[in-house]
Amino acid sequence: MDWAEGESVRSPEPTMTKLAQWLWALALLGSAWAALTTGALGLELPSSCREVLWPLPAYLLVSAGCYALGTVGYRVATFHDCEDAARELQSQIQEARADLSRRGMRF
Amino acid sequence: MATGTDQVVGLGLVAVSLIIFTYYTAWVILLPFIDSQHVIHKYFLPRAYAVAIPLVAGLLLLLCVGESPRPWAGCRVGVGVMTLSHP
Repeated sequence: MDWAEGESVRSPEPTMTKLAQWLWALALLGSAWAALTTGALGLELPSSCREVLWPLPAYLLVSAGCYALGTVGYRVATFHDCEDAARELQSQIQEARADLSRRGMRF
Repeated sequence: MATGTDQVVGLGLVAVSLIIFTYYTAWVILLPFIDSQHVIHKYFLPRAYAVAIPLVAGLLLLLCVGESPRPWAGCRVGVGVMTLSHP
């Protein structure tokens, strides 16, 4: 580390933890949603927009859950199996067991 | 690619998640903009259920996770053997 002589080492810039950032964003969005649904801002939204607005948190949760489920399923389906290597490994295990039991080891 | 049951289960999960997502999106986002006399409204429950059903399902899920001492011990999806790097 090189700094000019006489300069003190400054502490790093204060940063928010990830949890604090998430909670902050959640609080912001949540209050915006609450303000719009309860009509506290005095905006006259068309009724179809209000109908879409009030289930929005539930909708976001369900979509996040669907995304998670779909990703897990996709990754399971496209997992790279190596069947030859698996068979080779199994035969090697059999060999090792036979060899060891010949030498007297009990399983 | 994974084999046998892995593929079936995986693709099944993808299909289920897509179905749920499209139905729920149509329910929450699209339906309010469709004329209330349209025949499509017959295929969807009253709007209050759009929040009630996920809520109840979520609570049940949380209860299930809380109850079993070893979560998900009963359902193990068989994932294939890990890739081996040949020397």
